[in-house]
Amino acid sequence: MASARPPPDPVAVLRGHRAAVMDVSFHPSRSLLFSGASDGELRVWDTVRNRTIFSTWAHIGAAGVYSVATNAALGNRVISQGRDGSCKCWEIEEAGLSRKPLFTIRTNSYHFCKVSLTKTPKSVQTDGGDSTEVVNIMALPGEDPSQVELWDLTAVKRVMSLPQSSNSNLAGQTSNQRGMCMAIQAFYTSETQVLNLLSGYEDGSMLWWDFRRPEAPVSSVKFHSEAVLSVAIDNICNGGISGGADNKIFMFSLDQQKSICTVRKEIELERPGIAGAAIRPDNKIAASAGWDHRLRVYNYRKGNALALLKYHSGSSNAVTFSDDCRQMASCSEDTTVALWELYPPKDRI
Amino acid sequence: MGRLLLFEVAPNWLAQFPKSVRSQIYDPFFLEGPSIGVLEELIPILNKKGSDKDPVHDKICSSVERLLVLCYLKKEGIRQMVIEFDLVEKQKGVAVKKDDKKSVSRVAQLLASIPDKIRPQASSKLSSFSFFKEATVQLIAGAEEKSMQLPSVCDTIEKDSPQNYAIFFVGETFSRIIRRGSTDIVVSEMVPRIYDLVKSLLLSYSNASLPSVMESTPKFWFWLYLVETMRDQYSIERLAEGILRQLASRAVTDTEAYWILWLLFNRSYNHTGTIRAMFVDKFILWKVFPVSCLRWILQYSIFEVAPTMEGHVKWQKPPHFVDTLQHLVTIWSKREFVQSSSVEQQAYLTAAVGLCLEKMSKQELETAKDVLSLILQGVSCRLESPIDLVRKMASAIALTFSKAVDPKNPLYLDDNPSDVVDWEFEVLTQKKVIITTSSRKQFINKPKTPLQEKSRENLGDKEAQKSILIQEISDKGVEEDEKDHDSDSSSDSSLEPYDLSDDDSDLNKTFTQLADIVAALRKPDDPDGVERALDAVEKLVRASPDELHHNSSDIVRALVHVRCADVAAEGEEESSEEKRHKALVSLLVTCPFESLDVVTKLLYSSSVDISQRILIIDVMTEAALELSETKIITKEQQRKGNLITSTSQPWFRPGDRGPVGAGPWRKVSGPGTSMLQNWSHQYERELPSRPGQRKLGKTRKWSVANSKDLQQEWSKNRFPMYAAAFMLPAMQGFDKKRHGVDLLNRDFVVLGKLIYMLGVCMKCIAMHPEASALAPALLDMIRSRDVSYHPEAYVRRSVLFAASCILVALHPSYVASALIEGNQDISTGLEWIRIYSLHVAESDPDTECASMAMNCLQLHSEIALETSRALESADRMKAQSRTLPSKLDNIIIPFANMN
Repeated sequence: MASARPPPDPVAVLRGHRAAVMDVSFHPSRSLLFSGASDGELRVWDTVRNRTIFSTWAHIGAAGVYSVATNAALGNRVISQGRDGSCKCWEIEEAGLSRKPLFTIRTNSYHFCKVSLTKTPKSVQTDGGDSTEVVNIMALPGEDPSQVELWDLTAVKRVMSLPQSSNSNLAGQTSNQRGMCMAIQAFYTSETQVLNLLSGYEDGSMLWWDFRRPEAPVSSVKFHSEAVLSVAIDNICNGGISGGADNKIFMFSLDQQKSICTVRKEIELERPGIAGAAIRPDNKIAASAGWDHRLRVYNYRKGNALALLKYHSGSSNAVTFSDDCRQMASCSEDTTVALWELYPPKDRI
Repeated sequence: MGRLLLFEVAPNWLAQFPKSVRSQIYDPFFLEGPSIGVLEELIPILNKKGSDKDPVHDKICSSVERLLVLCYLKKEGIRQMVIEFDLVEKQKGVAVKKDDKKSVSRVAQLLASIPDKIRPQASSKLSSFSFFKEATVQLIAGAEEKSMQLPSVCDTIEKDSPQNYAIFFVGETFSRIIRRGSTDIVVSEMVPRIYDLVKSLLLSYSNASLPSVMESTPKFWFWLYLVETMRDQYSIERLAEGILRQLASRAVTDTEAYWILWLLFNRSYNHTGTIRAMFVDKFILWKVFPVSCLRWILQYSIFEVAPTMEGHVKWQKPPHFVDTLQHLVTIWSKREFVQSSSVEQQAYLTAAVGLCLEKMSKQELETAKDVLSLILQGVSCRLESPIDLVRKMASAIALTFSKAVDPKNPLYLDDNPSDVVDWEFEVLTQKKVIITTSSRKQFINKPKTPLQEKSRENLGDKEAQKSILIQEISDKGVEEDEKDHDSDSSSDSSLEPYDLSDDDSDLNKTFTQLADIVAALRKPDDPDGVERALDAVEKLVRASPDELHHNSSDIVRALVHVRCADVAAEGEEESSEEKRHKALVSLLVTCPFESLDVVTKLLYSSSVDISQRILIIDVMTEAALELSETKIITKEQQRKGNLITSTSQPWFRPGDRGPVGAGPWRKVSGPGTSMLQNWSHQYERELPSRPGQRKLGKTRKWSVANSKDLQQEWSKNRFPMYAAAFMLPAMQGFDKKRHGVDLLNRDFVVLGKLIYMLGVCMKCIAMHPEASALAPALLDMIRSRDVSYHPEAYVRRSVLFAASCILVALHPSYVASALIEGNQDISTGLEWIRIYSLHVAESDPDTECASMAMNCLQLHSEIALETSRALESADRMKAQSRTLPSKLDNIIIPFANMN
């Protein structure tokens, strides 16, 4: 450790946003990066030339674009979520994005939870091939802040909301105790390919929902002492990482047979606040974006810290990995997006 | 018979005697006779005054001189005389009467007067140096020989008994030689002898037995009695001083020195009060010896015990000890002593007090109540001093004192604590280093390295390094990954962690708005915020945003009032002080008028304390220097460049166009226009003569290139336009005593700093027209008696500094024109500088003041010379143009008495 290398600097810094960058997302196949800023601007970057290739005012509103999401299942589209109470889906064209969104979902939610596209386990992706069979579901925070709504993106309609609003008063009370939903992650289980969902709440608890049994969560755990701010699931959907407003990061594993969520590793930090977390598709490393401006990189398997990246001069909002595992992008209040190349994987020829 | 021989034979016949006859008949008459008698015969002859041309007298004198050399130097007649005094006692009634002491001292007087009486052309052996040397050697030898014959028990010798005459004679002669200023000769002969004696004794005897051994050994008797027999207090003092200095240069051990002093002075020290007073008072309070001498003096006269090697032998303190210490401390603690005595003297007395304190125990200190309080008083009044050395003395005493009270818990007031106190304070050694104004000047003239350039370089380097690093890292990462590729499980090991060290230096919110900074600085309950504001403020101010002019006064006020010591973490007070300092300087530089307005108001406001006042003045000094870019042209250049006329051209002069070779424009004032002179300027210039026309006269060189250079240099100096704003408000009301403000007495440090600052300002506008406008005001200030004759040397130093700055800053041509116009301010002011520096150079106790005054005088004479040249040229001009005001005729040149 004594001769440890100094932490690396970003390979590129994408400047151009005029406000805090809230979220970044890589295009699943092309070398494009989408970023949304709090002034409502949605930018598309070329990650080879490190240039902006397109920019649009996606969500004009008080807090602008809140979240950007892409997915292999979604194909050549990008979802942007704004604090104006809407989610928009954009077609990616040659010269950028479509002038008008393909469709707009009125969510009427104005709080802090980012949308989540459904994560498909690797095995399913490679096996199935035709993603159309799988219903493309997006999870997004509901109008009632304690609820999560699931939307079918192909049909553009709401499928259900969790917990179901038809629940008894008791359930409503408990959900009220948990507070607002702060983070969601939807995924298909690797074996059964059933839509599952993890949602984190204001009081620090996390619920695990099964699409088939929407009336009650499969499991409920409370790792964090304060609000859960980010949840990420690994590529085989057997575990994940969560960060919250307290000074802890948890790595957990999901036992899908027994429906038990157990803590695999608890990491304590010097400073609280993890706004974003991500796991690289090859499940080797995980990264977190902290309020303390820092990005932390962990060995996902062992849970030991690998790097502490100090570049941003403002609170970091999100971190994400590209699908080819080569790049990592982080965005921050300081209006920059940083591209990193960490522990690059070997090319699989 | 002797007279006959001398007066009759010598002039007429002696030359004709063959050499052998002379040596057999003539000389022996004198040689065989009693040497005392012969001396009494010969000397009066020399005394007689004959006319210079008188050959007879000349011959008599030369023969007497020859005889003196023969009798007293070749034949050791002086030693003989010493012995003879005793013989007299045995065979009473011999021709010469020596039964009374008067005659003895008369003989001594005669002997010592020989070098005075001989003629200039006499043999060099009779010159005072060689004669006294020889005499001393013989006297000592004779006396030692004599003392062997004295009765065995020395106490039986009565003081006035004729037995003692020999020693009395030696003592008398010594004191007369010393009176004649040849102490060194006597001492240099005495010391080696005593030293050898004492050394040999020390080898064989212990300390305790030494006194009795000395008193019982005849060899020592002479030395024991010598000083006692000397009656002349002055010569005893000189002798003691000479011996001490000689011993100090010889690297004698403490024990040896103690015994030498004991041997020489012990008898009289115990009996005579004056001798005791000489050691205790004079040698400690008035003289300055090297520290080793001081140790011996203290050891001998105050501790009264031989120094021992074996540490803490219980030592009975002599009864005087505490009294003496109290006496010393009383003087040491007085403020007047700190103010008025020279640094060397102070260091010396401090060392004396310190060395005494080392011998004290806690109980003793407690019993002597006064000592305790006096020491505290002395230490505290020294700690207030602006002079570093004086503070050092205070901390040295404090350390010694605390060690005496509680050895385990020493009190370090210094920054770099060391257990051993250096009592020399760097001034009591032979070498003296005096920092003069010239070194200060150098400091001022030193150009600052441009900061931006440096940081830019650093930045570039850093980036380059980083990019290299990234490359390396990524390469490395790939390789490792390749190695581990085959087994997926082992691939984790490829994830070698980076350096995970973390600090929160970047986390603190940096300020980007001046208003935020002001707000943060005003919140003393948020120390972190204040500190971060301090970190950020200089950078922001240097960027000089548009709103700076509106905010600057607020920031200045907030910065002056911020309490760095409360805010900063332990041990980091200095860095935050420095930040505050730098920030204020940057403010004063970026928007001088607004900030100065606040700063000068705060300077005399009762809401700030001394440290803040000092801060303000320091900041102003630095800002002045920065504004002037320290681009002051060095003095040599100035003097060379613009001896008479080549000043930068004022804007209102006509342009330089015209025929080649045209002279420069000169201002003329027409008759009757003196009232309007300020409104309209007339100029004339010489035009080159037409071809063919020849005019005899002077050629004058106007060095265009040179003046251009000067102009360029000057243009970099931004300070002159702000000089008045810097200086005038600060000079206003410095002598008023207000609530919390008392510059003249209590806060003299502020006054000194203020004057220093004004001097620096003056220097920064050197050779600019503003200098001549502001100089009278500054002169007025430093001329006031309260300032120029301030009891604190620190203030006087700054006055001298300011005075020399004025001299440097004034352009000679301005001085000349002031004289021509009859401007009294400047001429009387400059004359005052001269008189004041003369006074200081002659009589100031502070050595640095004196040397600065000398420097000042030199500058004054330089400017006087150049002004007189300027006046000459003005005279010439007057002769040519006849249009100058008639005042020129009756100017009193203040420098007339300089040449």
